[in-house]
This record gives sequence, C-alpha cells and structure tokens, in this order.
Amino acid sequence: MTMIPPPFDPELAAALEALKDMVPRELSMDDIPLMRQGPGIELLARLDLTMDGFFEVEDRLVPGPEGAPEISLLICRPTAPVQRGPLPVIYHVHGGGMVVGNNRVGVDEPLTWARELGAVVVSVEYRLAPEHPHPAPVEDVYAGLLWTAEHADEFGGDAERIVIAGASAGGGLTAALALLTRDRKGPRPIGQVLMCPMLDDRNDTPSVHQMAGLGVWDRTANETGWTALLGARRGGPEVSAYAAPARAEDLTGLPPAFLDVGSAETFRDEVVAYASRLWQAGGVAELHVWAGGFHGFDGLAPQAAVSRDCREAHVRWLRRLIGE
Amino acid sequence: MKELAGRLTAVDPDAGAAVRVIAYFDALAEARAGLEALVRGAAVLAGCPARLVDAERRVRVRVEPDGRRRDSDLPPDPAWPSAALAPGGVPALWLERAGGAEPSVVDAVILERAAGVLRLVLDRTRGRAPVAPDDDPALVETVLDATAAERDRLHAARRLGLDPDDPTTLTRAVAPLGGRPRILRVSGDEQPAGLPEGRVGVGPAVSVLGLPGSWEAARTALRFTAEGTARDPGERVVFADDLGGIALLAELTSPGAEPPPDVRDLERAAADSPWMLATLHAVASTSSLRSAATAVNVHHSTLQDRLIHAEALLGWPVRTPQGRLRLQLALTMRHLARG
Repeated sequence: MTMIPPPFDPELAAALEALKDMVPRELSMDDIPLMRQGPGIELLARLDLTMDGFFEVEDRLVPGPEGAPEISLLICRPTAPVQRGPLPVIYHVHGGGMVVGNNRVGVDEPLTWARELGAVVVSVEYRLAPEHPHPAPVEDVYAGLLWTAEHADEFGGDAERIVIAGASAGGGLTAALALLTRDRKGPRPIGQVLMCPMLDDRNDTPSVHQMAGLGVWDRTANETGWTALLGARRGGPEVSAYAAPARAEDLTGLPPAFLDVGSAETFRDEVVAYASRLWQAGGVAELHVWAGGFHGFDGLAPQAAVSRDCREAHVRWLRRLIGE
Repeated sequence: MKELAGRLTAVDPDAGAAVRVIAYFDALAEARAGLEALVRGAAVLAGCPARLVDAERRVRVRVEPDGRRRDSDLPPDPAWPSAALAPGGVPALWLERAGGAEPSVVDAVILERAAGVLRLVLDRTRGRAPVAPDDDPALVETVLDATAAERDRLHAARRLGLDPDDPTTLTRAVAPLGGRPRILRVSGDEQPAGLPEGRVGVGPAVSVLGLPGSWEAARTALRFTAEGTARDPGERVVFADDLGGIALLAELTSPGAEPPPDVRDLERAAADSPWMLATLHAVASTSSLRSAATAVNVHHSTLQDRLIHAEALLGWPVRTPQGRLRLQLALTMRHLARG
C-alpha cells in the first residue's frame, strides 16, 4: 500500500494555500474552543440568507428530544414560489466535525438548490460534542425532522417530499438520520445527500493514513471529532450505527442516496465503501469522487472548476429526484 | 462565503491580501494550472471579470468573479486596468473594473502575478507566437546574415521566439520586393500562411541556423517573380524549392547587364502587340495550345494566327518542344535581366 497521496487539483491547491490559516487540519481537543470563535466558522455563517430577497427567513424554536432543550430551526421559504401547492423540503444538517458550527454554516448550498428547484430549506441546529456526546446531536437532528414533517404545511412545505442533506459531520448525521427514520418508522425522506460525509469512527482506512497531516480535516482532527462524540468508545466494539453509519450491519430499505467525496481527503475510502454497501444491499445510490478534491473543497473554493462541476452534480441529481 | 476574495480581504486587508495573492498564483503555477484557472484566479481575487486576449496565439478567455467562464467578443475598454504578458508588450490581461482610476495595489499585484504565470503557461502549451511582420528588423537581419557569428544568430533567433534546439522548428526566409525580410515558421510541408502582398520569393524550409541559406535562395526566387500583368506576365510568388536547375540561370544573368539576344528578340516582339507577352507566357506555362488559348481567352485559331506572327518576329518557333523551351528560358531570363 503506497502512502503517496493523490495530488490536489491545481486550483484547489492554490486556494488551500491561501486559506491554510483558517481551516482545521490537525485539530486537537484543546483547539475546539478557539475554533468555535475563529474567523472561519463566522465567515461561513455570514451570509445573506434571503439570497437577495428570494427567501423569507425565520428562526423557529421547536421541541427537542424528550427531556432535552428546544432546538432552533432556520426556515427559508421562497417569497414568490413558482409552483402552486406545497414545495419540496430540503432538511439540512450542518457540518463542523461534531464539535463546531450552527445552522447557518454551509446552508448557502442548500439555499442555492432551493432557489434553482423551488424548495423550502430547513436547517437544524443540534447540540455539539464534547459537551453533548452521542446520541444528543443525532437525536436533535431527528427531533427537528419530526417537527418539520408534522408542521410542513405551516411553512408551505410538502411532508411527503423531504430530502435530507448535509456535508461532513452533517453528512454523517444525515446518513444516521436515514437509518433512524427507517428503524423508528418515522418520517420517510425521499432522498439523502451525503456530501463528504463523516461516517466511520474507526478512522483507519487507507485514505485516512494517506492524507495524514494534509489538506483539511486530517486523521488527527478526525480522531478529535469522533472522540468528542463518543469518548472512550471511539473505535471500539460498542459504537452505534446511529453515531457512525459505517457501523450499520443492515443498509437495506434506505432512501436513494447521493454521495460524493474528494479523492484527496481523509473520508474518501469510507464514503466509497458506504456507497458500495448501499448497492450491495439493493439500494439506490449515486457516487461521485472528485479528483484532487480536499475535504469540503466546493465550499472553501466554490469558484474552482471542479467545485462548479461538483455543485452542478448536486443540482442535477436533485432535479432528477424532485423535479417535476 | 463571498468566495476566496471576500475571505482574503476580510482576514488580511491591503498588504496582507497582496501577499496572499502572490501565494495564490505561485501555488497555481507550481501545480501547473491551466489558462482558465489563472484567469479565474484573477477574477475571483479582484472581484470583477477578468479577461485574457492574446491575439497572436488566438487565445481569448473571460471569467466572471463567481468563476463562471463567459467569453465576450466585445473589445476590452482601454480604461480598464491591464497588464502585458511580457515587459513592454501589448496589454493582454484585463480586469474589467470601470472607473478609470489608478488600479489599487491589490489589482496591480493580481495583474502582475497572473500575467507572469500566464506567459509561462502560454509558452509551455502554445509555444511562442509566430514571428510577426513587425518583429524587430535588426533581429531578423541578424538571423539571416551568413556573416554574423553563430552565437549572435542563435541569440537573435531566441529573442524572435524561434527555438534553435528544437529539431521540429522549421523556418523559411521570405523576400518581398521592396519590403523588409521576414521569417515564417512552418510545420511539415504545409504552405506557409501570411505571405506579404506583391512579388515574393520564398526560401526553402530550414532549421534556424540554415536561415541565411534560405534567405539567399528566397532572394534568388524573388528574381523569378513577375507582376502578373500583361506587360509582366508570370507568378507573383515563387518558391525556391520549385525552381530546380532553372535557379542556375540566375547566376548567368545579372540585372542591368546587356540582356541575352533571345531576351532582346522578346522585347522587340512585345513592342509590336499588347497581347504578345501574355500570349507567349500562356504558351510557355500551360500544357497544350488549347489550354493556352483558354488562359488568354481567345479562340484556338486566333492563337494559331498570333503564334505565326510571333514566330516571325522572334525568328524561332514556339510550337515545337525545343522552341517552347527556348521561349520559356527567354521569358525567365527577361525577369532576371530586369533585376
């Protein structure tokens, strides 16, 4: 097994060089408080959520899991929907390695889809590790989905057409949410978009080792994130599939999945493996591996050619899924 | 995220941003990024459309600040901040920033760095631009000068964008009548494009160091050209390659000297009738009298009448193979004697 990593795409390499002080690479537990205050997350969250008035934006507190605090949902609905009747709903779960972020982080992409396709975006805020270890984050995400499905008509959404989506930790939580709704016979999403998802707490695939110390969110950072979520159980025999979906024995009966990942990132092999197992279980999945992509490249360098292709692929898949 | 530029300026205003611009283009260069990626870098970092227009290499790339490629045929506004690809060259990279004010420090750094890397990529991927007519005449003359030192000729060739170390680089010297010498880059056997108007002699395709010989041959070929008119029928462009042994005639006939007797006969015949030279040229340069008649647009029998008249004036036949050769040589020597 060669340890020579695949090269970054030229444009992405240049962007990474320019942004290297702002993105986590070898994040340790001690770095978490600093990162929560850092400019990176703040800038990611500093968005015009209305997209020039296309959306009306509402922050809504809804009941959390039983015995837990309320959770905050960001609801963005088109001010002038092109279609009559209830709109499809994109239920978004933010990233941040399980330890940072809020429901604004990364929502620009689902908003772009929703503007293109005429949909409502609901972005959920969940409690963060390590203060709130598993199952707090995924239960918050589940509670948010329950409320969304039950109250969809209040914001013009269609409870029968909910797509769940997330990037990085949000992608892992989205995959877990798909398992949870299947097993609890909860709301049935019609699709799951897993963008560079964080799926496997064992942190030991070839790509994990190959990309150690490189790019964004390397092996050290990944260990930090998973340990924050799972504590001493991380990598051990007792990890729940609702925490680390790669642990799931049974991947049958899940909604159609879109998965993508960069070829030059920690998560490459676990995402490819998860897609393969979805097919092996008779499922519907579309997998894209973007050559030279580092973790989260399309968010950090959205103008790069490969990022544009990646974002177009998301919209094309969604159009096939929910388009009229 | 307002893309890279927004983030860069938010974190590191002014001088810090310039440093990051430099790092960005250095990283693109190191990763051997393509033209579009470089123009996109300029557009994204500047926050306005950027365009590259290299007319000589026929390259046009325009990118919007969101990274979208959207070319435009409209000419660039001279008021936009711009940079040349080489020092002292014509503007080739523009930032479409209206207003006409002095470009900011960051704009200037973006233009300078992007243009520098773009030039390297263009040289690598498209080669140097073909030698243009307005290329430095002194350099062209040096390359063509057999008496110049080889080192000087190689140096001049490199500055003209000709790579003497590349065995596939083939060139032809071109001698236009009354114009400056030129050098054409050629590939394979294809006809060189972009020959000047008027009478032109073209030398054989040679390596860079063979150009003085090609130039010599081009000037000889020029002597075989004609205006292509009734008074001076013949080819306006002559390739030295096509002359073969006929080229030896040039050494025997010096311009301005007393013309050979056959040329004097020809001039006497030409003075007799305005159709004479064109008709004789047609007979000498076509494969049959029928096609000669077609070439000068007369009936076959008219041509016969004209040729009987011409033979009487010349004193030698033009309708036998030997007579035709003698006519062809006389017409050719007439060009050579004219100088």
